[in-house]
Amino acid sequence: MNANKHDKVRHLRPEELEALAMPGDRKLSARSSAHAVDCARCLKEAEELRALHSLLQALAPLQPMVGFSDRVMRRVRLPVSWRVRVLETIRAHWVSTTAALAGVVAAVGVGFTFIARYPELTPLTVAAFIVERSTALLWGAVMDVGRLVYGTGIVQTAEGIAGQLTLLTAFVAVATVTLVGLASLRIMLSLMDVPAGSRPANAG
Amino acid sequence: MSYQERSDQDLVRLCLRNDERAARELVERFQRPVFSLVYRMVRDRELAEDLTQEVFVRTFNNLRRYDRSYKFSSWLFKIAYNLTVDHLRKKQVKTISMHGAPDAVTAERQEATSLTLESREESPAALVEGRELAGYLEDAIAELRPEYRTAILLRHVEGRAYEEISDIMGVPLGTVKTYIFRARRELRDLLEDLRDEDDVS
Repeated sequence: MNANKHDKVRHLRPEELEALAMPGDRKLSARSSAHAVDCARCLKEAEELRALHSLLQALAPLQPMVGFSDRVMRRVRLPVSWRVRVLETIRAHWVSTTAALAGVVAAVGVGFTFIARYPELTPLTVAAFIVERSTALLWGAVMDVGRLVYGTGIVQTAEGIAGQLTLLTAFVAVATVTLVGLASLRIMLSLMDVPAGSRPANAG
Repeated sequence: MSYQERSDQDLVRLCLRNDERAARELVERFQRPVFSLVYRMVRDRELAEDLTQEVFVRTFNNLRRYDRSYKFSSWLFKIAYNLTVDHLRKKQVKTISMHGAPDAVTAERQEATSLTLESREESPAALVEGRELAGYLEDAIAELRPEYRTAILLRHVEGRAYEEISDIMGVPLGTVKTYIFRARRELRDLLEDLRDEDDVS
């Protein structure tokens, strides 16, 4: 009998042994099945794997203490969508929500009545009037604040400090602010609760 | 349709609509397998309960980050695995006998940290032999590296596919196969050693 020196017995691979030992969806190919019937080594390995699998399957089921789900639910805060949050808020504060809605309807009603009474008023003229009055009010507030600040002497002090600034002191100030900012960011990140395993690694 | 009949994905959808009963059903559905895995990693009942609680709390509090293209159970086990491994790394906990943690000096502490096995309907002799074998197996599992332990428990006890285990542990598929192959080999060797030691003693 001439044996081809390149012929080698290919024993079952681990996944084939598993298919043989552990019933499941995976099936052996015809070639592997034929090999399994005759190969003492593969049969022995499959039997050992079967025994180990049975032992592991028979491990006693473990349960946490009674009341575990109650303890968990006391700590759980389910994340809800903004729509659900809005609906829940309205349900919880329906009196104030109704009052606010009534106020809006009343304001719109007054507005329409006003416009109906003075037909020469167009939306554009009303808008222009509102913008002009708002701008005047805002500008007046800014001027008042500026007078107040100038009156306290802060502006003169700031001018004095700016005159003393050198390149070195400016650099030190920027570096200090940057370091403080980075340290704050680091502390903030360490305090944030970032859960492990937010996304499985492989696409499967 | 009752909550028990709903799929995991349905229950997750309900949880995102603030349905606490759906969340409770998910906890009751997965508390046993998650607790089993965590306990067999840390070998301390009180600690395993705390960690398992933390797993569920983190899962639900971050439910918005769950990607529905993956199984919910895979995501849950991944959180459990990462949390447990982080804890083991911080504490540098080594494997512990099923008869209690090494630092258990009082009877109460030993009982709190030891494993209680359920009995089945068997003859006394079979019960004793079964318990001995289960004891050997639990001790052998405890001797494995955490990665090997997780992989083999997920494969043989929880019946997870290799691809799922790869997702859960965050390692390539080939690495999972290596872990399981080596874990099986080590378990076989350890079981023989433990039995031989017991016979000698």
